[in-house]
Amino acid sequence: MKPAIEIEGLVKKYGEITALDKVTVTIPEGDCFGLLGPNGAGKTTLIRILTTLLKPTVGTARIGGFDVVRQSADVRTVIGVVPQAMTSDLDLTGYETLDIYGRFYNMPSSDRRERIDELLSLVGLTERAGDLIATYSGGMRRRLEIARGLVHKPLILILDEPTIGLDPQSRHVVWELLEKFMKLDRLTILLTTHYMEEAESLCKHVAIIDYGRIVALDTVEGLKKQIPQKDVVEVTIANIAMEEAVKFARGLSAAPACASRDDVLIVSSDHGAEMIPVLVDGLKGLGAKVVRVILKEQTLEDVFIHYTGRPIREEEAKKVSFLLGAGIPTRLGR
Amino acid sequence: MQRLLAFIERDLRKFVRNPIVVGVSILMPIIYLVILGNSFQGELKNLPLVVVDRDNGPSARRVMELLRVVESGARTVTITVMADEGAAMTALREGECKAVLVIPSGFSRSVERNTVVELGIFLDNAETISAATLQAAVTRAVTQLKSGRVAVREERGRVLLRDVEIYRKIDYDQTLIPGVVIMAIFLGAMMTGAFNIVMDKFLGVDESYLLTPLTKMDMVVGLVVSGLLITTTLAVIVLVLGSLISGIYLWRMLTVPSAFYVLAVITLSTLGLQGLMFVIMGRINHPRIVGVLGGFLNVIFFFPSGAIYPVESFPSWLKAFALVNPESYSVHALRALFFKGAGLEAVKGDIVFLAGFAVCTIVAGIFAFKRTL
Repeated sequence: MKPAIEIEGLVKKYGEITALDKVTVTIPEGDCFGLLGPNGAGKTTLIRILTTLLKPTVGTARIGGFDVVRQSADVRTVIGVVPQAMTSDLDLTGYETLDIYGRFYNMPSSDRRERIDELLSLVGLTERAGDLIATYSGGMRRRLEIARGLVHKPLILILDEPTIGLDPQSRHVVWELLEKFMKLDRLTILLTTHYMEEAESLCKHVAIIDYGRIVALDTVEGLKKQIPQKDVVEVTIANIAMEEAVKFARGLSAAPACASRDDVLIVSSDHGAEMIPVLVDGLKGLGAKVVRVILKEQTLEDVFIHYTGRPIREEEAKKVSFLLGAGIPTRLGR
Repeated sequence: MQRLLAFIERDLRKFVRNPIVVGVSILMPIIYLVILGNSFQGELKNLPLVVVDRDNGPSARRVMELLRVVESGARTVTITVMADEGAAMTALREGECKAVLVIPSGFSRSVERNTVVELGIFLDNAETISAATLQAAVTRAVTQLKSGRVAVREERGRVLLRDVEIYRKIDYDQTLIPGVVIMAIFLGAMMTGAFNIVMDKFLGVDESYLLTPLTKMDMVVGLVVSGLLITTTLAVIVLVLGSLISGIYLWRMLTVPSAFYVLAVITLSTLGLQGLMFVIMGRINHPRIVGVLGGFLNVIFFFPSGAIYPVESFPSWLKAFALVNPESYSVHALRALFFKGAGLEAVKGDIVFLAGFAVCTIVAGIFAFKRTL
């Protein structure tokens, strides 16, 4: 299948800081590709290079066959982008926004009107199209911004954390919309997200990026299989000390990793189902009362934490002028 | 062209949905005209003067009469008579009056004998303009005292100066009109064009259109054109309102060609300032900096423009700045067109400078503008 996005040895440096370090990824046409990573991992930097807002230090990236540095104007015609922050003009109405953005792409007026009506209907904003965006809720703005990214029928839709800050209902609406557009427009989608559930529900392929490097890349199922001890057995016990239970579990050769949380013994294993009778019998033999046993499969979140370590990561502090605060020309301060 | 027009429309729609900005843009220069016109008024008036008459002779009474004429005529002074010189000096030090004139005892006798006479005037020289005005008013009155007794024709070497104004009488607040129009243009240029880029960056909106096929030229020219439409409209409204307030009837003063030249000067001044704002603010990302720069730029462009004080009287370094200050040319041209009935010949130098300045700053603004984050 023809690649929609080809990234080869991409490096981006800010002074001494390396935000992206030799990133190489190929995304085929029609794929929905998820880019996962903790804060400051380089996701937004990569998206900004692919969308021509930043220039790479080294390496190449091609979108729809166009080089993002040398053919940036062509790249902008084949991509639709939904940035991380809400970027719609509050003083315009929903319809005016789509109409003006359609004109930025030189769309003929009849095509534009037809497309805007179709999109407004799909994102459920037909009734509110004449209202100022300032009156919209966060979920409505996000739906409008997805419609804005699609107004010119792009080949590739790039979304930078599209559901961040939305309530669970709005998040599910956005996921349904993206699935609908994938089928209708045969889009290639690249999205970054913090939500593992989002990646699991939408993406065919997922890459995990950390410290500017791609540390894992596969299908969601493939990634889950990559980590050892893919099953987790949680046993709630009483009557014996937890230290004794942990010592027992560590002595079992089939359970190389174990830990505890309050009165719950947590054992990771490649063969969780087989571990359960061994654990229960052994613990009973020690005089423990087994209250509850749960067998869980590792989630994408477990995979994510396996590759990136701690779940929460502090970003690099941004440079801000001591004299002028944040309001300075970017080149001087940030 | 479709992209450019869409960008212009986006900016205009956003502006008209902020009517408070439109109102402030019109009101500020008008308030400036009303306050400055009424506080300066060209000549100073009602300066408090205390007179201590220790002579009480005929010449002292004559001095008082002449001062009363100044008080009731030109209203330069407001006179209070006090008997106690010490109390008068206390009043001066406490700021209750601006000067104390002491007519010494024996003053009338000395005038009668035609010997050298001296009047003492104590001035509050902490306010130099008031002090100089009072000194001049009292000197004029005392000179008339002497000329009343000595025939002018016998005073050889004295030259009588009769002033003839070559243009119709122009009040001080009317002379401010060109400056007020330029101020409206400056404020318009500050609040439109490049400022919208700063606000878009501040609100994070710029990312959305930087991702589209819009070129640098589309964005800079689009914002300059929308800023031009808004600012020119505001400047014309300010011109009409300011003229009515100060008693100028534009339809009597301007011919059709001179009205066209006025519009050309306003348009070119706007374009130049819009371009300049892009050069200065194109890479700023916080409106706070624009606020600080706005006040600073207004002072450095407006006051050396000749709108308030003649450029010819500036020190040489400030004169040199006025030579490259576009507002100097705008004020010069508008003053000539409004008050002197001038034609194209008188303002073509100003128009050429303003056009050149506009082209240079807009081109520099396009180069200075950064299309990436």
